[in-house]
Amino acid sequence: MTAPELIRNFCIIAHIDHGKSTLADRLLERTGALSKREMTEQFLDSMELERERGITIKARSVRLTYTAKDQRNYVLNLIDTPGHVDFAYEVSRSLAACEGALLVVDASQGVEAQTLANVYMALDHGLEIIPVINKIDLPGADVARTREQIEQVVGLDATEAILTSAKEGIGIDEVLEAVVTRIPPPPANHDRPLRALIFDSWYDVYEGVIGLVRIFDGQLQRGMKLRLMGAQKDGEAMRLGYFAPHERAVEALGPGEVGFVVAGIKAVADMRVGDTLTTADRPADSPLAGFKELKPMVFAGLYPTEANQYGALRDAIDKLRLNDASLVCEPETSQALGFGFRAGFLGLLHMEIAQERLEREFGLNLVITAPTVAYRVRTTAGETLMVDNPALLPPENLIDAIEEPFILAAIHVPEEYLGAVMRLCEERRGIQRDLRFAGHQHVILHYEMPLAEIVFDFYDRLKSSTRGYASLDYEFLDFRPEHLVKLDIRINGEVVDALSMIVHRDRAYERGKALCEKMRELIPRQMFEVALQAAVGAKIIARETVKPLRKNVTAKCYGGDITRKRKLLEKQKEGKKRMKQVGRVEIPQEAFLALLKLGE
Amino acid sequence: MAFSLYIHIPYCVAKCPYCDFNSHAATSWPEDRYTAAIIAEIRHRGTQTPFAGCPVKTIFFGGGTPSLFQPASIARILESVAATCGIADDTEITLEANPGTVAERALAGFRAAGVNRISFGAQSFNPAILKYLGRIHTAEETRSAARAARQVGFARLNLDLIFAVPGQTLADVRRDLMEAVALEPDHVSAYNLTFEPGTAFFADLQRGRIRPLDEDLQAAMYALVRDELPQQGYPMYEISNFAPRGHEARHNLSYWRGESYLGIGAGAHSFAGEGAGGRRWWNEKLPARYLTLVEGRGEAEAGSEVIDGRTAMGEFVFLNLRLRSGLDSARFRSRFGCDFDEVFGSVAARLTAGGVLLREGGWIRLSERGLEVADSVFAEFL
Repeated sequence: MTAPELIRNFCIIAHIDHGKSTLADRLLERTGALSKREMTEQFLDSMELERERGITIKARSVRLTYTAKDQRNYVLNLIDTPGHVDFAYEVSRSLAACEGALLVVDASQGVEAQTLANVYMALDHGLEIIPVINKIDLPGADVARTREQIEQVVGLDATEAILTSAKEGIGIDEVLEAVVTRIPPPPANHDRPLRALIFDSWYDVYEGVIGLVRIFDGQLQRGMKLRLMGAQKDGEAMRLGYFAPHERAVEALGPGEVGFVVAGIKAVADMRVGDTLTTADRPADSPLAGFKELKPMVFAGLYPTEANQYGALRDAIDKLRLNDASLVCEPETSQALGFGFRAGFLGLLHMEIAQERLEREFGLNLVITAPTVAYRVRTTAGETLMVDNPALLPPENLIDAIEEPFILAAIHVPEEYLGAVMRLCEERRGIQRDLRFAGHQHVILHYEMPLAEIVFDFYDRLKSSTRGYASLDYEFLDFRPEHLVKLDIRINGEVVDALSMIVHRDRAYERGKALCEKMRELIPRQMFEVALQAAVGAKIIARETVKPLRKNVTAKCYGGDITRKRKLLEKQKEGKKRMKQVGRVEIPQEAFLALLKLGE
Repeated sequence: MAFSLYIHIPYCVAKCPYCDFNSHAATSWPEDRYTAAIIAEIRHRGTQTPFAGCPVKTIFFGGGTPSLFQPASIARILESVAATCGIADDTEITLEANPGTVAERALAGFRAAGVNRISFGAQSFNPAILKYLGRIHTAEETRSAARAARQVGFARLNLDLIFAVPGQTLADVRRDLMEAVALEPDHVSAYNLTFEPGTAFFADLQRGRIRPLDEDLQAAMYALVRDELPQQGYPMYEISNFAPRGHEARHNLSYWRGESYLGIGAGAHSFAGEGAGGRRWWNEKLPARYLTLVEGRGEAEAGSEVIDGRTAMGEFVFLNLRLRSGLDSARFRSRFGCDFDEVFGSVAARLTAGGVLLREGGWIRLSERGLEVADSVFAEFL
């Protein structure tokens, strides 16, 4: 174990392409973590790729040893942060494991919008931020302007920014010295009961779940009986170690240290990011602050396009869930689609990732139904139901009230885009709660908004109307009764349950019309006419028709044509594999998600 | 097992811009050498499994333009078939002829050689349309060829027509039908013009030089054909074929019924049923290479595929459904040893409910609407 005063825990915040990977490589090289031979380009990145592909060991934190100018040997833990802002919670846990951050800015590009959200988050966590101006060797480098921008846009003092060229190896020693001298050491709480933050975890076929931990209090020793305070799961410290970047086993990890633990846990859901690890024998009084069990926000049906793939889908979901704590799935049945699952996701990106993995890694063809949020329904009988599938909404005469989830959105935005953002929020039924100027030309807005208005395309719209400069964070507030109705889509007169949705009464007409139009575009002409109708109860509010194929017939078919014709017909049939048969109509996958494509 | 024999003559005086058959425009052709190759291939195939010792049910000379060959060549070929496999008196022997390249004397020669059914590529009787289709013959030549055929004793005569040619009107189509009927053929084939990859028309279409007729108009023309020809005494018995009962092209019926056939000549395809499935193979397409191969080894097979039971069922369904009488589920059962509904029941029920399939007794067939979208219906069974 290393004495806490000799430990520094930090991460790198940078826009893509601004040199984060190259800088990380230089730090590894300079501290001798990797030999020249091993110095394959961009070590951390290649690990990341492995991670994506789900291959066993991944290093999301690297331990470096560095002899500073004061002649003392320091342990520097470089903690990587996930790239995508949609996984903001994971980013926040990685930041919580650090005392400082390097903000890397390209001297020729300046501060990019996407970086800001992470910088704000790092500031919220009280991290010491060291500005690093990189790529100073490039002809377009403008150090003075970049410095000014860091001060104005980010609001940091950039007079002591470090000038580097990671590519040329310039300024690397200065970066390492700054990490040692400017970032505070972790607190030394040796005597308290163990508290360690899980800031990453993944499933390994051989060892079960592997967790990356940052020790805050006490010691983690091999053989200890462990307890995850949030999940209420017990395990045993079977193996401990760290990545340097190669795996090194240790007997114990002490305060301030970063490493991995294998605790005989079977699913990532039982060792979630943000949970606190303590000992079963002498548990801590309270967990570390900030654990959120991420609740799914968006629900959708997952169905195989071919009914005989149901078993394969079930197995694939089980495997996926081992490694994805936030994916929630329950079997459900649809009249139109047969047997499938109702799945809960953190957001649309999460949903897309899950769909892609199921299709790519497990070779399945899926239909995903229109995503929805979960509504709370009060019935006339006095019951309260949660409805995450619009098809299951009770009949209107049995409903006393439908309540929809509201969130409090915090939006950081440069002042010049304030008007655009406020307009967008109001369009989405937002209620302004607060407008605060924070530093130079930088505004923080708080809006109460229906979750349903946020989860679909709000984030994209927000980004596009602020050239990427706005950042969004939100938290659940409460359920509020609203004038909501169920909008049904009928195909050839029959309600297709998988296409139903719950919408605000004032939006039903517009939504129904846009949806029918979009579906008409997405459903190809086929043998039979396809009549599309949008209806609220018995009232038809929009209709469209996909005209049937006028003709599709091969005039000549003799001896020499048979194989060729059969192959052509097979090709025609192959094209339909990605469609779901609903009654006589074939509906392509995209049409079930027409709701998400209304803006296109 | 009895089989149908197809003999391909690949030469043409000119290549028609819509034709995607294995045909090659030429001013001269190695008739003797090609005839010898055909004979060699017949001897080879006719004495080997699976066709050795099997009777020939029908013979069809297709092309290309078989009528470019001398009657003596056709006679030699038929003699070799008779010697190798035997030809019964009632065997249907068809020859395709271009009305522009066949004199009365030649027709008499073909008849004398044993050909008992003649098929003329009339295509249209409208000079502008004939020109557009790149045909070398005139409407008058078709009329005189048909009269000559009657004269020399062809009781069975087919006329091929093409409709839905850009620029054509419904009245044009009706006139062509009437002109054809007036010649009293015993069979009419009427094909909706399609633009097949590899043809001059297809290239023109890609470059935007041709605009196909509106689909509604094409469908109306097809409806007119299906309406008019039966009224004139030619019931529809296949998607594009019309003939009084008993005058159907027996050779082509064997394709649509999924029976075995032997193809001889450049690019010809063969199928030999075996159990529920079978084997299909095809010859080298290019005449020059075909000749070299046959001269070397007696046959010119260039590729083949094994048709497994399930694939054969799909083919059986889509071929039989081309027939107006449709698919006989009793024949399906005897061929595959299981019920049609066991395999296709739910598909067929959906298509029947949708109005594109009709079921009467043990027969399953396309409805009028089903004919228009036949390929979409067929694809459901593959």
